[in-house]
Amino acid sequence: MRVSLRAALVLAAILLAIAPVLSGNAFYQRIAALVVLAAISASAWNVIGGYGGQVSFGHSVYFGIGGYAALLSFTKLGLPPIAGAPLGMLASLLLSAIVGLPSFRLRGHYFSMATIAIAALAELLVTNWGWAGGAIGLMGPATPRSPADLLFRSALPYYAIFLVVLAVLLALTWWMQRSRMGFYLRAISSGERAAESLGVPIRRTKLYALFLSGAFTALAGSLYAVMIGFIDPDSGFGILVSVNMVVMAALGGAGTLFGPLAGAIILVPLEETTNAVLGGGGSGAAYVAYGIIIMLLARFSPGGLAQWVPRPSAEKRVRRAA
Amino acid sequence: MLLEASGIVKAFGSFRAVDGADLALAENELLGLIGPNGAGKSTFFNCLAGEARPTRGTIRFRGEDVTMLSSAAHARLGLARTFQVPVVFAGMSVRENVMVGAFLRHPARHRAAEKADEVLEFTGLAAQAETPASALGTAGRKRLGIARALATEPLLLLLDEALAGLTSAEVEGAIELVSRIHARGITLVVVEHIMEVIHRLTQRVLVFNQGRVIAEGTPAEVTADAAVIEAYLGRRARRLAR
Repeated sequence: MRVSLRAALVLAAILLAIAPVLSGNAFYQRIAALVVLAAISASAWNVIGGYGGQVSFGHSVYFGIGGYAALLSFTKLGLPPIAGAPLGMLASLLLSAIVGLPSFRLRGHYFSMATIAIAALAELLVTNWGWAGGAIGLMGPATPRSPADLLFRSALPYYAIFLVVLAVLLALTWWMQRSRMGFYLRAISSGERAAESLGVPIRRTKLYALFLSGAFTALAGSLYAVMIGFIDPDSGFGILVSVNMVVMAALGGAGTLFGPLAGAIILVPLEETTNAVLGGGGSGAAYVAYGIIIMLLARFSPGGLAQWVPRPSAEKRVRRAA
Repeated sequence: MLLEASGIVKAFGSFRAVDGADLALAENELLGLIGPNGAGKSTFFNCLAGEARPTRGTIRFRGEDVTMLSSAAHARLGLARTFQVPVVFAGMSVRENVMVGAFLRHPARHRAAEKADEVLEFTGLAAQAETPASALGTAGRKRLGIARALATEPLLLLLDEALAGLTSAEVEGAIELVSRIHARGITLVVVEHIMEVIHRLTQRVLVFNQGRVIAEGTPAEVTADAAVIEAYLGRRARRLAR
């Protein structure tokens, strides 16, 4: 019975994954690519925010660094934008070490507030930094100079690339979740004092999680810039970029492997459809919906949708383990 | 001496919660720590566990100065503790909770799981291994706290009111568990309110009052001590007489 249920789920996932390819509808294909892209950043946020319980509202910093690294590589060095991705990831590691260590001294809401401040500061700095495009932002290549520019008319190639990155990230997260690191992160999330008394190196564990989380958020930013071909302070460092990640992860289930993906599958189409239906003037409608979702989650289902997924009973888990 | 604390002072502003306390603990001893509420037991305890840094004084564990080390470093050296109000790692099963402790000496997952199962067996939690830890009651949570600490394979275990808030049947079970831990060769310090428990468990007791050790000896000796009666038992007796 359970085996058939699991097989059905896998089958459904495969169908869902290839549906955009089969549909041939450019609008759906674009949405599918954006869903996977959002799932990458939300899943990356989930490593430190979900498993580690360190609710960052400043992950747009990493996203923006990735996006700007890509388009700065193009505008300043003439490289294909994707060449900026490793640079962005490297910069995110550096930033994690510089900003992460002191902010990890703060707990709970104070940590969240510090991350908001850092992101706001980054947005302000970039807006006033003429060399990096200032308030106007940066453009990617208008026409492909080589295949390495990753400039495609169809959204499908992006969809494929994003799926591969998401698969790598989820595999890393799965591995982490089962390892000592994952246990330590979850322990820290529910009680730092108790975790530390068991020998858990609090700051080192959080820092490693932030490295993984920040690097993949930066990669998501680079991929976004490659696909959209444009980045400005708001689309890179804006608070809504961070809020997106948090809401998606929270809706699907923070601290679960597939929660952020589930959140992205629900929210991105919602946002894109309201944008398409209501036009430019209605672009805020999705955020009204976000606000409502946050309130409903906080009131009825703090564990996200994952809370409603039936877990195998204790007996069955023992039997399977044996 | 396994653990030696000398001249420990812990001040919060002008208030000295611990005011020059000493303690010397031999290997495989089971020491009781008693005193009225607010006597500074918990603060002293936190200093020993590395959770609070003493304002003055030194603490040596196996000859090494550990005064300024973190509680994580204490755990690595073999000094574990439990909490008066036990915190369970929510969202994890009982076994997974214990594995967090076991990972300290066994970084590989399957070895940590084996160690956890051994500790669960020893502490009588094996039947609840798969239960979500947050579903446990007070007695279960306290037991889980002890199991987690034991999984770090400590030489010295500090138990902070491990028996408070338990029913009398549960107290019996906990006393039995503490005795078995002691029989394993683990040195113990127990902070306790229940005098009867101290009588049954320990050979030596320190009595705390106003941040100082006011008496020391066997449970029988300290209960006969005039200073102790006045500081601790006397006050309660007076309250009962009223």
